Amino acid sequence: MSEVSKNGGIGRRSILKGAAGAAALSSVPGVVFAQGAPKEAPDLAKLVAEGKLPPLAQRLPSAPLVVKPLEKTGVYGGSLRRGLRGSADHNGILRMVGNQGLVRWNLGFTEVEPGVAQRWDVNANATEFTFHLRPGMKWSDGKPFTADDIVFAIEDCCKNSELYRSVPSVLVINGKPATVTKVSDTVVKFTFESPYAMFLENLATPLGQQPTLFPKHYCSQFMPKYNPNVADLAKAANMSDWPSLFRARCGDIEIPSRWGNVDKPTIDPWVVREAYTGGATRVVMERNPYFWQVDTNGAQLPYIDRLTFSISQDVESLMLDAVSGRLDIQDRHIDSLQNKPTLSQNMQRGGYRLLELIASGAQQCQIYFNITHKDPAMRAMFSNKEFRQALSLGIDRKEIIDLVYLGQSEPYQTGPRPGHPWYHEKLARQFTEHNAKQANDILDRLGYNRKDAQGFRLRPDGQKVFFAIDVIPTLYPDLVDTLELVRRHWVAIGVDMKVNTIERALYYTRGDNNDHDAAVWPGPGGLDPILDPRDYLAQHPQGSRYAIPWTLWYVSNGKDGQEPPESQKRRMKLFDDARATADLAKRGAMVKEIMDLCADAFETVGVCLAVNNFGVVRNNLQNVPKAYPNSWSWPNPGPAMPQQFFFQS
Amino acid sequence: MLRFLVTRFLWMVPSLFVISFLAFVLIQLPPGDYVTTYIATLAASNEVVDQNQAADLRQRFGLDQPMIVQYWKWITGILLRGDFGLSFEWQQPVSELIWERMALTLVLTFSTLLATWAIALPVGVYSAVRKYSIGDYVATFFSFLGLAIPSFLLALVLMYLAAVEWGQEVGGLFSEKYQTAPWSWGKVLDLLTHLWIPVIILAVSGTASLIRVMRANMLDELNRAYVTTARAKGLSEFRLLIKYPVRLALNPFISTIAWLLPNLVSGSIIVAIVLSLPTAGPLLLQSLMAQDMYLAGAFILLICGLTLIGSLISDILLAIVDPRIRLE
Repeated sequence: MSEVSKNGGIGRRSILKGAAGAAALSSVPGVVFAQGAPKEAPDLAKLVAEGKLPPLAQRLPSAPLVVKPLEKTGVYGGSLRRGLRGSADHNGILRMVGNQGLVRWNLGFTEVEPGVAQRWDVNANATEFTFHLRPGMKWSDGKPFTADDIVFAIEDCCKNSELYRSVPSVLVINGKPATVTKVSDTVVKFTFESPYAMFLENLATPLGQQPTLFPKHYCSQFMPKYNPNVADLAKAANMSDWPSLFRARCGDIEIPSRWGNVDKPTIDPWVVREAYTGGATRVVMERNPYFWQVDTNGAQLPYIDRLTFSISQDVESLMLDAVSGRLDIQDRHIDSLQNKPTLSQNMQRGGYRLLELIASGAQQCQIYFNITHKDPAMRAMFSNKEFRQALSLGIDRKEIIDLVYLGQSEPYQTGPRPGHPWYHEKLARQFTEHNAKQANDILDRLGYNRKDAQGFRLRPDGQKVFFAIDVIPTLYPDLVDTLELVRRHWVAIGVDMKVNTIERALYYTRGDNNDHDAAVWPGPGGLDPILDPRDYLAQHPQGSRYAIPWTLWYVSNGKDGQEPPESQKRRMKLFDDARATADLAKRGAMVKEIMDLCADAFETVGVCLAVNNFGVVRNNLQNVPKAYPNSWSWPNPGPAMPQQFFFQS
Repeated sequence: MLRFLVTRFLWMVPSLFVISFLAFVLIQLPPGDYVTTYIATLAASNEVVDQNQAADLRQRFGLDQPMIVQYWKWITGILLRGDFGLSFEWQQPVSELIWERMALTLVLTFSTLLATWAIALPVGVYSAVRKYSIGDYVATFFSFLGLAIPSFLLALVLMYLAAVEWGQEVGGLFSEKYQTAPWSWGKVLDLLTHLWIPVIILAVSGTASLIRVMRANMLDELNRAYVTTARAKGLSEFRLLIKYPVRLALNPFISTIAWLLPNLVSGSIIVAIVLSLPTAGPLLLQSLMAQDMYLAGAFILLICGLTLIGSLISDILLAIVDPRIRLE
């Protein structure tokens, strides 16, 4: 296990303290300037010499973010190749370049570090966050980046009900959105009505990028408040109303049009030259001449001139590109365990090395029995904790790990990964041994002791003990294999199960309508238990599949769905409190109580610990970590800072 | 003839209406809607959509309204304003997206068609005239082989060989330099150097079946009395063939024009996906999978419109070529 997962989550406790320490580094005036080494890319130097671009000193903020290169300082040049899929793969770009929020994650996924904000102050009860921006920072078109842009992004955009019918969740606590005020050109204050201790960590995730997403000088022209003629603009662009026009031109965090407009200024290391549109066959991004980060020599980042994303309709052809060495760094879409042998075999031919992706999830194959099943008999069966325990004991996890996961896992239920400070032994390991006798005894005792002609158990009402588990074969082929083995193990204890392979939209629709008997999905929350706790309490309307009606009750504050039992209600309360608690020791205690309650309730049945995956990096690409977390909250490879990657000539 | 044309045109209007409605219903039939698919696609990479946003999207795109209302909005937009709507996924007007790809699709399909006919017609005639000769057997052998190999497999094999064995780029229709360059002679030449691979792949199966059809038709005609008569009158063998049997044997080629036009869009989807060709097919499939309703709907409407026009053209051409067919 690597360093990352050992330390994963430490930062949740030291977050406020750690931030102050890191901020000190970036504001060190006069970084060591090595004599003679170029401070900017040759093509930019040429533009400066021709008078087409202001000199470097005027383009950088007075206190740029100083990035310490992973191995060594790099050289300028080169074009980095990556692959995208044809449809809805905008986050493939986001993960590479769009990691430039007010704050960001460190490499270990443990601490929040300065980004656009060079430092910040938090009041004692975590209701006020004051961010200090970098004086002189510019958008990619050379216009100043100030507190006004952030106020505009939140107050005028995110809180505009025509544009966002509800304010993005990261900016909301207890149903009330943040209020953003400008203190000075470089100081901006976020105020919440109730404590929101998790705000900084949420800001560091991709969904926390709104504050730095909308340049006021550009995007305000698409708003009626700033431009009374916006209706004409919309009409000329063939759009029905101004919000459509705004979205098409300024985008949002995770929609394709964020990368579909070459005119929109950004603060990313590379800016779009050839856009990601419906007809595109590739996307090209070139360096941002105003990028606000430098290396330890004071040389402006990024090192690499441009990024080329080729668009493949077919994921298999991405694999072909990877093994023939036509992608410089790629993990997206090819990172399944099944591909590992092929990727390893072709390392020499393709001139690449393997990149380890540390699983951020807890569980490779989480089985969610629908505890809130519509059919009373099924509900009675699934909501019985002992029934679930019996089924868990009936699974031969060792066989599954050996056959499906090439021996690279261990029996596991759920909970933070081993080595994580919040690791919970009981939650992780209970009922993971294979004990068919004990399972049979429990089932007999529960009244499922009569059997039909084929040896399957009958429920007290005379029906066979039978249910279907929904799985999406195109997405997770390994889960289908796992379930087939589980089916065999359960036949041995007289329980009949059907592996229900379905299309992914149907999978979601069945979940939304509470029509499923059971479903599988990789269980999250291994490295980021508080950012994605859907298996620890019913909190995610699409993800907490063991009791979606409880989730609806929770997110609607009791208006919709079904009222959950005490244990769940207690956890929901604890989770809300933990998010609001600035005192990290207290927060840790609350999380511990959530995990205790979760272990007692035993709602989900897991098979084995989530397995690490692999990507490829070309041998000449430097400063790439050997391993990093594979997570959405830590949108790999973004926080590994691709701006400091470089090509060894 | 004129009356026939007018009636046919008039019939096309209600047909298109019915088709547009059926298309809309069919696109909506799979469970879920664009937002479900959007969430599912992101979840495939373990990415999460802001819960507030998901509900917003559904409302903004009008997906929470009954289907008939959605259809009415769509069809009136097209009829009254020529507005095909906005693609959910790309936030771009649908018409923009479609036309962008149609030109290249046309080029590819017509090149394939020409290549197919240029090979299939002479070979078909030859193997009919020289029935059971070595040449006939060779042609028959290869045409069965061509029929048997799925074109996507051929594309995959070619790609694998090119990428792994020869280290060459096969996908796409342009080299990197010209991919987004404006049209120029250089770009046209570049297109021609790339075009032959998909054309060959697509032409293989088409050629094979056409050879068989041509051969069978020719054999029917060759034994007719008029051929014997013509030969007895001393007409040269070549002129005789071209003037009568070949002309009649062309009949099935012309009847298939009706399918040819819709094939422009949908015929080569799998090959286009495998080879990453910037044609209309992959975009159509993508929009269907994403349940991007207006984009998919416009494509299907276009395909159906093309089918109707195609069958009209077939009928007219048949009447001209084959004197036995009469319109009245």
